[in-house]
Amino acid sequence: MTVKVLYFGRLKELSGSSEESVELRDGSVIEDLFSTCSAARPELRKFRASLVAARNRELAAWDTPLRPGDEVGFLPPVSGG
Amino acid sequence: MTAPHPHDRIEITRCPIPNAEIARQVRADGDGAVAAFDGCVRNHSHGRATLYLEYEAYESMAVAKMLEIAAHLHTTYAINRVAMVHRLGRLEIGETSVFIAVSAPHRAAAFDACRYAIDTLKKTVPIWKKEFFADGAVWADGELPPVPAQTPTAKPASK
Repeated sequence: MTVKVLYFGRLKELSGSSEESVELRDGSVIEDLFSTCSAARPELRKFRASLVAARNRELAAWDTPLRPGDEVGFLPPVSGG
Repeated sequence: MTAPHPHDRIEITRCPIPNAEIARQVRADGDGAVAAFDGCVRNHSHGRATLYLEYEAYESMAVAKMLEIAAHLHTTYAINRVAMVHRLGRLEIGETSVFIAVSAPHRAAAFDACRYAIDTLKKTVPIWKKEFFADGAVWADGELPPVPAQTPTAKPASK
């Protein structure tokens, strides 16, 4: 299945892109997606403990199952206001 | 997505925020109070002189989260209308980055709701601030929004 990944803030700089399509095995969860995305990006992997994921614009736990066409955002600590 | 309450104004914008206009819009004849919060760009951060800020957002999710905050205000406080507008892009010293106004028949609810709104926005709405100094730039320290456990078998994130 294909999912859309969005990066924000410093994650966008670390990953070198703001958006990408990622091919995953069926049954994958958000943790699997992050492993795939960070496999070739050690600096992104180091950030794992200080980011959260959103699936289709709702914050989601790392073990949340993904479905084809999902939009997953990886969010660093927020600093609006 | 949470539906906006009639007469509320919840927005992300790249233009200067019309603070006075927004404060006027939230007031109706049954209101005795309008409490407003004007978040503006400061000229220093951690002892360094700030040149300007840049804000970015996960815009669709940010608006959804702001609507959730407004919905919570309406069910929790005896208020009338809510305005919550956040600006993105480059902001100069003194400019308003976020403006929140809440109207209510009586002041206590307006103050309390306005305070809850800005405190919750800063913790949960996906917006990011980069601070530019004479000798470089840094992403501002922020807060990780609390994530609900998604699946019944999920282990707690931490003990």
